[in-house]
Amino acid sequence: MNTAIRPSTNPSPERVEQRAPTVQPFVDVYESPNELLLWADVPGATREGVQVHVDKGQLTLTARRADVAGEVAAGARAVQTEARTYDYCRVFSVPAGIDASKIEAELSSGVLKVRLPKSEALRPRRIEVKAS
Amino acid sequence: MATRFSDFDRSFSVFDELRRRMDRIWDDYDTDAPDLGFQASSSWPRVNVTDAGSALVFRADVPGIAEKDFHVTVTQDGLTLAGERKTTAPEGYSTQRQERPAAKFSRSWTLPYKVDAEKTSATLKDGVLTITLAKAAEAQPRQITVRAQA
Repeated sequence: MNTAIRPSTNPSPERVEQRAPTVQPFVDVYESPNELLLWADVPGATREGVQVHVDKGQLTLTARRADVAGEVAAGARAVQTEARTYDYCRVFSVPAGIDASKIEAELSSGVLKVRLPKSEALRPRRIEVKAS
Repeated sequence: MATRFSDFDRSFSVFDELRRRMDRIWDDYDTDAPDLGFQASSSWPRVNVTDAGSALVFRADVPGIAEKDFHVTVTQDGLTLAGERKTTAPEGYSTQRQERPAAKFSRSWTLPYKVDAEKTSATLKDGVLTITLAKAAEAQPRQITVRAQA
C-alpha cells in the first residue's frame, strides 16, 4: 500500500476524529421554499456508521464503510482496484435560516439524505388581502 | 430567495473541488493489482475485483440504484453489468449543487477463468453490488501433493 504519500483527503482533521484517510463524498443539494435537501453518495456505509453533526453553523457528515476491513478477504487477491474503500467525511457551512433542531437524516441504499428545514421566517407566506 | 449552502470556508472551495478530483484521478491510476487484461478506467460505477480462489468477486459502488434497475449478464467467460442512475431533483425542488454523477452504464469484462454461470449470485447492500462468480471446476486451484519416492 502506498497510501502514506497520498495527501490526506480529510477536510478537517482537527475537527473530526476518525480513521484516516477519508474521501469526500459527492453531494447534491436541492432546494424548495420550505427546506434544503443534501444527498451524499456513501456506498458501503451502514446506518450505525453514519454521523450527521451540526455545531456552530457547521454540518459535518461522516460515514464509515462497513467493508473497509473486508476489502480483500483472507486468501483473496486483488485483480482490479478502481475504488478505494475509504470512509467518508465532508463539512458544510449551514446557511442562516436553517432550523438546526429539525435537521433529519436517513440512509437509503448507499445515499445519505439530510433534510434541513428552513425556519418559519424564511418560508414564503401568502398574505390574505382583506376587503375594507 | 436562494439560501446558499456552501462548503465550509468558501474561499477554498475551488481548491477543495480540485483536490477532490485529483484524489479521484490518483485512485484511477494507483492500483496495487497486477494487470490481468482488466482496464483501469474512470467510468462509473467503480468496480473492484478480487480473486477468492474458488470464485471471482466483483464489487461495484452503486449508491441510489434500485435492484430492478440492474442488468447483470454472465456467460462462460464474460460478465456485463448494466444499469442506470438518474440524479434529477425531486419534484418541487431546484438544484443548488450537483456532483453525484448521473449514469447510464454498461461495463463488460472478459473473465480470465471459465465460470459456472449457474452458481452466480448478485446481492445489493448499502449501495454496493456484489457479484460472485464461481469458477468452473477445471479453473479451480488444486493442491498437488508431492510424494517422495522410495
